[in-house]
Amino acid sequence: MSNEDLYHKVVGYVELTIFPTVVNLNRIKLNSKQCRIYRVRVNDLEAPFLYNDPTLEVCHHESKQRNLNYFSSAYTAAVSAVDPDAGHGELVIKVPSELWKQGDDLKVLKVYIEFSLDQPKGGLHFVVPDVEGSMAERGAHVFGSCDEKMKIFSCHRFWFPCVDSYSELCTWKLEFTVDASMVAVSCGDLVETIYTHDMRKKTFHYILPIPTAAPNISLAVGPFEILVDPYMHEVTHFCLPQLLPLLKHSMSFLHEIFEFYEEILTCRYPYSCFKTVFVDEAYVQVSSYASMSIFSTNLLHSAMIIDQTPQTRRCLAQALAQQFFGCFISRMSWADEWVLKGISGYIYGLYLKKTFGVNEYRHWIKQELDKIVEYELKMGGVLLHPTFSGGKEKDNPTPHLHFSIKHPHTLSWEYYKMFQCKAHLVMRLIENRISMEFMLQVFNKLLSLASTASSQKYQSHMWSQMLLSTHAFLKSISNVSGKDIGPLIKQWVDQSGVVKFFGSFAFNRKRNVLELEIRQDYTSSGTQKYVGPIKVTVQELDGSFNHMLQIEENSLKHDIPCHSKSRRNKKKKIPLMNGEEVDMDLSAMDADSPLLWIRIDPDMSILRKVEFEQADFMWQYQLRYERDVVAQEEAISALEKFPTPASRLALTDILEQEQCFYKVRMQACFCLAKIANAMVSTWQGPPAMKSLFTRMFCCKSCPNIVKTNNFINFQSYFLQKTMPVAMALLRDVQNLCPKDVLNFILDLIKYNDNRKNKFSDNYYRADLIEALTNSLTPAISINNEVRTVDNLNADVRLILEEITRFLNMEKLLPSFRNTITVSCLRAIRQLQKNGHIPSDPSLFKSYAQYGHFVDVRIAALEALVDYTRVERSSGELQWLLSMVQNDPVHYVRHKILGLLCKNPPFTKTTDSALCNEALVDQLWKFMNSGASHDWRLRCDAVNLYYMLFGLTRPSCLPLPELGLVLNLKEKKAVLNPTIKPELGVGAQNSIHPSCHGTKGDFNTMEDEDIDMETVHDSQAFIHHHLNLLERPSTPGKHTHTHTHTHTHTHYIHVLKTLLIQKKPAKPASGRGTHLPQLVGGEGD
Amino acid sequence: VFSVHMVGEGSVSICSIAGKATSSPAENYLLARRRTLQVVVSALLTESGFESAEKAAVETLTEMLQSYITEIGRCAKAYCEHTARSVPTLSDTVVTLIEMGFNVDTLPIYAKRSQRMVITAPPVTNAPVTPKALSAGQKRTHPAHIPSHFPEFPDPHTYIKTPTFREPVSDYQVVREKAATQRRDVERALTRFIAKTGETQSLFKDDITTFPLIAARPSTIPYLSALLPSELELQALEETDSSEQDDQTDGENTDDPGADKENSMLPPSGVVPSTKASEDNVIDNPYLRPVKKPKVRRKK
Repeated sequence: MSNEDLYHKVVGYVELTIFPTVVNLNRIKLNSKQCRIYRVRVNDLEAPFLYNDPTLEVCHHESKQRNLNYFSSAYTAAVSAVDPDAGHGELVIKVPSELWKQGDDLKVLKVYIEFSLDQPKGGLHFVVPDVEGSMAERGAHVFGSCDEKMKIFSCHRFWFPCVDSYSELCTWKLEFTVDASMVAVSCGDLVETIYTHDMRKKTFHYILPIPTAAPNISLAVGPFEILVDPYMHEVTHFCLPQLLPLLKHSMSFLHEIFEFYEEILTCRYPYSCFKTVFVDEAYVQVSSYASMSIFSTNLLHSAMIIDQTPQTRRCLAQALAQQFFGCFISRMSWADEWVLKGISGYIYGLYLKKTFGVNEYRHWIKQELDKIVEYELKMGGVLLHPTFSGGKEKDNPTPHLHFSIKHPHTLSWEYYKMFQCKAHLVMRLIENRISMEFMLQVFNKLLSLASTASSQKYQSHMWSQMLLSTHAFLKSISNVSGKDIGPLIKQWVDQSGVVKFFGSFAFNRKRNVLELEIRQDYTSSGTQKYVGPIKVTVQELDGSFNHMLQIEENSLKHDIPCHSKSRRNKKKKIPLMNGEEVDMDLSAMDADSPLLWIRIDPDMSILRKVEFEQADFMWQYQLRYERDVVAQEEAISALEKFPTPASRLALTDILEQEQCFYKVRMQACFCLAKIANAMVSTWQGPPAMKSLFTRMFCCKSCPNIVKTNNFINFQSYFLQKTMPVAMALLRDVQNLCPKDVLNFILDLIKYNDNRKNKFSDNYYRADLIEALTNSLTPAISINNEVRTVDNLNADVRLILEEITRFLNMEKLLPSFRNTITVSCLRAIRQLQKNGHIPSDPSLFKSYAQYGHFVDVRIAALEALVDYTRVERSSGELQWLLSMVQNDPVHYVRHKILGLLCKNPPFTKTTDSALCNEALVDQLWKFMNSGASHDWRLRCDAVNLYYMLFGLTRPSCLPLPELGLVLNLKEKKAVLNPTIKPELGVGAQNSIHPSCHGTKGDFNTMEDEDIDMETVHDSQAFIHHHLNLLERPSTPGKHTHTHTHTHTHTHYIHVLKTLLIQKKPAKPASGRGTHLPQLVGGEGD
Repeated sequence: VFSVHMVGEGSVSICSIAGKATSSPAENYLLARRRTLQVVVSALLTESGFESAEKAAVETLTEMLQSYITEIGRCAKAYCEHTARSVPTLSDTVVTLIEMGFNVDTLPIYAKRSQRMVITAPPVTNAPVTPKALSAGQKRTHPAHIPSHFPEFPDPHTYIKTPTFREPVSDYQVVREKAATQRRDVERALTRFIAKTGETQSLFKDDITTFPLIAARPSTIPYLSALLPSELELQALEETDSSEQDDQTDGENTDDPGADKENSMLPPSGVVPSTKASEDNVIDNPYLRPVKKPKVRRKK
């Protein structure tokens, strides 16, 4: 055991008080992973226990099966077998028969469990920097590394035995004994801190009187610096040593978020205190637990940083929203998850609207909508409220997915993110229907019911008010608003998929009618049919008019009467939707038509994608005069298809307009670059945006020199950052970046002067490097000559010079979050990829090492993943995969797999030398047993496997042995079932018939059949083991009883841990020495 | 005696010998004197019975003689200046000789010795005219209250401020250009130096010097350097804060000063000082409370 290893150890003791609500309580099942359980007692009697974790290895006995369908079902079965919501668990404790009588009388049972946790791979994360000094000096710390998703359900069983379900509430008493230099931050109120007798350790005593589920409990231990919030003294912030100034600045804003939520919800923050802890190597950026939130330390920033500020504030707001909905009120079951994610996401949106303005809010909603639409159309629908009627495969509500959505920890991470995104969008749809006022009343009602319930002592049936189900939520909505939102729920919650509209129109001059045609595509994957109202806004010469149309089964065409006659000659101001009246130059429009522009579903009250056809001038009018940022953004993306001088003018005007929302202007930059490239042969004047940039940001006297930086105006700061990046995308007739533009960017870098600036320019400089990267075009290579310094292109030499200098300077004066290194690494990869410098992974490998800042590592890994794909290098792929297995940082491991999925070295449809049996086996093994400590990682591995090999047996594998026999007879018949091409959605269904159909004929298939049986075995794992116990309850009744016990049992959960930091406790002697000491101290 | 003659000139002559150019009249004058000294040395040698001497030996003796005479001159001048005179007298010289351990009484006997060789007088060369110091501008005449026997005013340039530097370049473009170039040069030189003295990485396998990259070195606590602003940035911030804060206070930052004020009331460690207890809002935060001592158990 190395010295380092001694530190990663937890010794703990759990005491559960159980109030039986049913008779026949003879077994207690708890969730526990990784823990070594020494001893279990029930009311002072030794109790026999059984510990088995079926998820450690998903598919047993060296199966040769390698298809993902098989794995998914086996994995789902394994997870179900320990699902606490169904009354299962890894740890089965048999209540000693002496106590059965007591249990039958519904008397209190106390369960005591002693356990230890030795170098946990998941759940708790230890960060111990490898430098000399005491633990405190080194900034060592530990925290519960539970992400939002895992938090819901899973990872608590990784560090202490509990009922790892959101629906099992109990009150808590927590004690943590840590080194005297450390602070242990956990949920609830810190009652007191007491030294141990040797004065070298101290014990933190916490009490959480509000009933809380185990997954909402967390812990962070470290040499934290403590900051009491100056505005709210019951709020305490913790950060790692030396970061206190950053913490002060970053947290100076938190009280406003508190005020906002408390005001809109008309409800006090439910817990008596709140703690924020900033830790290194966080599992996710933000995770919320009862009365505390754990953040990534990388969210901290100084007053000089612009870009990080809104991001950090958003994270704080998210965390706080989850305190109300997610921690205080938690979900009844996994199927109700969407309500909590939806509400917290929705109120977070309200906060965004208030703080960052309506434009930012609408922009964000559009972004989220675009994201979910894109995901669903690509990957298939996202189902918010799955119902599982039976346990059969056929009832799988999402057959298009390669994983099961039955359990949170079988979900792909990306799917879960999209799930949250959809949930809050649906909440917004509900708001559209019932009004915000009612919406907030509903929330207030839920919260006040919950807080009344929480103050009730020992009346666990009352506590169910603190759990929210879909049903209760909908009932509350109908009570408060009196409106029926059933169809809306049915459409978006009970069904997956989005709506895809195609719209076009014609103007009938005779009837003065707009003939609108709206078609739908509801057959392709991820779509659904929409029937119901839709709003169409028509801007005419006489004003803007809203029309509610009804989308019905068969009618595609809608006639909309126009209000104004075409009359372009009369000079008159044109009224807009917001009441404003503007002068317009109407010369561009069609003389016969009074229509300026048309918008379908302008309020985004349907989860949809709209492809609408209207003339280019209409888009241009929409861009210039429509005041809604969403409309402007839609117009910009539509204008990409119309590279005309008029489009150019419209975009340039928007760019210059300071009243216009800055993100629209930023988007206009990129569109303008695209249009300029399409118009390259007819383009007049200097390169696009150059004169504009000069006018806005360069000195009056010497237009080639940029002004010294002053970023006090954030809008122009963002524009100044974006324009060079977009300009670098310009290409001349030879498809090269114009010399003018490159020199211009090089000058910007040269004359960049930040001495007089109040803010850091690190993001700006990083963007200038990105601009250099964008200017690169593929090198002209003759006969694949080797790239050397001598044959370097002159322009590239200049670029390389800058990049070298930037990268080197970063070593001496590092920038915030090392943004410049990140940009440089991307630039170098781009240079390699374009053949300007030799393609070489070694630089990236060194930057990807543990010990660099995480953003830098990710950028280097991204380059390596790209290298692996382009060069088809199996060495690098192996290097990456070994990092996935061995890297100390969970986030990096997760990210590597994510990057590999996004940029796969090969896919199921392409052939590659990389695709071989060894790789299949390696990945399979990793999914099967290697990633058992981290749900997220396992699901990532499943995703990658799917990406590389698809759902069926990978084609690179040799045929199963006996298949060859038949191969001689009839080639096709044998090959089909095994190397069947991907069938997409239908694949899963088609396998089973083929299995059954061929079962009798081929011995090959027997293999698979046996495996399928083991799946059922593991599903029935608990039942199976229960038979070993002495007093089997009636089999039919059994599950019922236990579910019952779990949902109506009241616990008082007492958790005590001792974080061992000096000596490893030997399991054998630990039994007698360490633990009783801990127990002895308290008088419960 | 010639010793008096040499006073004041000795040090100058050494310098001129060291120098090589011998064309100016002043130099010729000095060279002649040196030659005389050489003759003196040669005569003394002959007197002592030497028939020939190496040139180097003669030269060394000349040097010794010269420095001896120079020392006498310097010392005598010091004595004379000590008594607020400007021209040394015989007594100054005598005191000097005594000071240097020379028995003055023996001098007349030595001077009158019989075998004394007579040296021809050195050729008369005009003492070089010291060129007039470059006079710049008109010398000021004495104002009425200063008697005329007081020394004249020195040249105006010695007491009048005469700016000699050029007008600084105020052209904005040139300044920016210069600042940019300078910064770039400094950065390049510095990074190249570091790259040369430490480990490097290279983008080209065949050429590791053209674009040297300082090797990436993992750090034990990478987030510290990535998150904390560098000293340079902090310094720059302070400068802008003090100098430009006034014109940079915009409406959007109105709440920040308030926040700062609130923060500044807290000590850096977040621990509440006891003085604050006087105010009604005493911070009662469980994390700030002292750690309790363990209870002593009764059992012994």
